[in-house]
Formats: sequence, structure tokens, C-alpha cells
Amino acid sequence: MAIGFWRLSAVTLAIGLPGFALAQAARPTQGSHPDFSGIYFPAVGPGMRSQTPAQLPYNDAAKKLVADYQKSFTLDDDPGRYCIWPGMPRAVWGAPFSVEIQQRPQDLSIYWEGYGMYRKIYMADHNPPKQLVPSAMGHSVARWEGDTLVVETDKLKPYPYMTRMATSSAAHVVERLHLEQHADAKGQPAKYLVDELVLTDPKVYTEPVKIKATLQLRPDLSLIEYTCTDTLWDDYLTQRGLTLPDLDELPSGAKE
Amino acid sequence: MNRTIVALLGAALTALAFPAAAHHSFAVWDMTQNIEFKGVVETLKFRNPHMAMTLTTTKPDGTKETINFTEGAPANMLVRMGLDPAVIAPGQEITVIGAPRKDDPNEYFIKSIVLKDGTKFQSIGP
Repeated sequence: MAIGFWRLSAVTLAIGLPGFALAQAARPTQGSHPDFSGIYFPAVGPGMRSQTPAQLPYNDAAKKLVADYQKSFTLDDDPGRYCIWPGMPRAVWGAPFSVEIQQRPQDLSIYWEGYGMYRKIYMADHNPPKQLVPSAMGHSVARWEGDTLVVETDKLKPYPYMTRMATSSAAHVVERLHLEQHADAKGQPAKYLVDELVLTDPKVYTEPVKIKATLQLRPDLSLIEYTCTDTLWDDYLTQRGLTLPDLDELPSGAKE
Repeated sequence: MNRTIVALLGAALTALAFPAAAHHSFAVWDMTQNIEFKGVVETLKFRNPHMAMTLTTTKPDGTKETINFTEGAPANMLVRMGLDPAVIAPGQEITVIGAPRKDDPNEYFIKSIVLKDGTKFQSIGP
């Protein structure tokens, strides 16, 4: 993978957030295109924290499903407890874990520490493979519009958790990603990957849902292995009345 | 050493967008409470998506009581804060600040862990 370098543009723009200095478009490049490769962490600070919209534009049928869901499901009945991937578009914002992006001319690979999620974005001009089976991350194909990467995602499997920004298999996500450089909340120079996302799902929502997610480049961080299913396995063993051996109790250097 | 290491869980909670994503709702916990328990770690599940532990405390009359912390920050978040799980392994004496479940006051959420040397790992709250 060719690693780009940060080449600061002369283009500057002011952002109207308190405590922030003039912003600069940051343009690390890979060939003629920006390079998004790096390790990121969800940005914090005024205007940068991404949130699910407080009011989602459910259609009438979906509103009824939300009401029914809330009658039947408790707060503990949550897919997160069972390590279900949030998938697209929910994976894009919010989780307080590192995200690694590796960019090649033909594709981008994104690894989320949280839930060990993985996503592939194929470049449209490099003969992307087809996807037959719907998945949590869906099928993403991208193109460049100047320094902005435009990604379209479909083939998403339903996410029927009505209090968790549910989506049907009709969901379609368009993202516009670009790099920025400006001061962080402490006034220090920082680099960001901004993802402006629009979700349309005519089976669930009456209008597009727009979300802006910002990741801060954090080369000082790494990804930590995130295993999530140990508790589920333990619960199963308990139900079966089984106990695994504790290998650490064995003495070191035991002879035959 | 007396230092506090604060995680972003609070931010994540309010951002909880990842409601959609990472964690289930924390609304089951009465996060307005900060109940301090000093004791010895009895069991530890240092895991994702949430850690859990039981702590054996000694009541004023000398009897023992087990406090059940059924949920806390994700293990990865605590590691990133610098918490070595060995320092909270069973047998270690620590202080935990917890918030009870609204519907079961016998279960607690771990808001902070304070080591014997005063180092505080704070995932949410004061």
C-alpha cells in the first residue's frame, strides 16, 4: 500500500466554532487523490460529535413498529449485548474506539476496533466485484469528485431494532468523505476525516436522514483486539454445566 | 501517585449514537448516584462489550458482603486508559464507585475504579 503524505493546501477556510482557529484543507495524497489511510478516533469537541438524530422521520408503518417494539422489548434486549454488528450506516459514527483505514487505488479497507467490524469500499473504476448476499456493511462502490470520495452503499441486510435507527433492505447510503485540518478543542493542529452521510430508506423513513461524522487522525493510537462473544460462550457453558480447564494453573516446564 | 484517567464513555453516552451501534442503553442505571465500595476483587470478567466484577466488602459489623457489578466500561476502553487488568485481578484491594440499577438495587454499574495508590480510572461521572 502506498502511504501518502500530508500536503497542506494553501486553501484556508474559517469555521465558525469557538476555540477553533482557521481551518485548512489537509490533502495527503495517493497519486492524484487524497489518501485517507491512517488510524482515527471519533472526534470530540464543539460541532464534531456525531449523533443519531433525536427525531427520525419514520413513516406511519414504521412508527407503529417502533411503538410495538417498545412495548415488547426492554432496554436489556439489545443487539449490542449479543455482539451484533451495528453495520452501515450506524457503524460510521459515535463508537469510542479506534478506526483504521487502508487505501489502495482499487479499494479502501476500514477496520473498526469496536465489534471488530470490517468494511470494503471498492472503486468504481477498478471493476468492483458484485455482492449477491446482503450484509451488515453492504456493498460499497466509490468514485472521486475532486478531493471528495463519494461512496454509495446498498445490499444491506435489515437491521430491525426499532430504537436503534432501524433500516430495511431498501436502505441506500450515500457518503461524501473529505479531509480537513484545523485546530482541535485544545487549540492544537489536528487532521480530520469528515463523512457527510445521507440515508434513504423509503420503507422506513419519509425523507433522507443526514448525519455528519468526524474522525480525528490519531497516529499515536493503535487498534486493540476486540473480542465480544466470551460472555455468550460462558453463558452457554454454564447452561451445559461445563467448565473449561485453566491452562494457566499448569506448572511451567512440566516433564513427561 | 494520585491521578485520574477519564475515559470518553461519558461522551459516548451522550453522543450515544452508538446507541445505534455499540452499546445498549444505559438508562437502566441510576447514574445520578455515586456509591463507593472498598473491598477485595472476588471475580473479574475483563471483557467487551462491558466488563463485570464482584467485590467482597466488609461491613462495620465484620460480616462480608458481595457487591455485584454487572456492567462497566468496555475492556478495550479501560486498556486504552492504561488500566492493566492485573491490578484489578481477584485478590486485589480496590475501591469502586458504582451506580445501581433502577429496577434492581443489588446490581451496579462501575463508574470508576480507584487503585490503592490513588490512581483513578473513571469511565463516567465524577
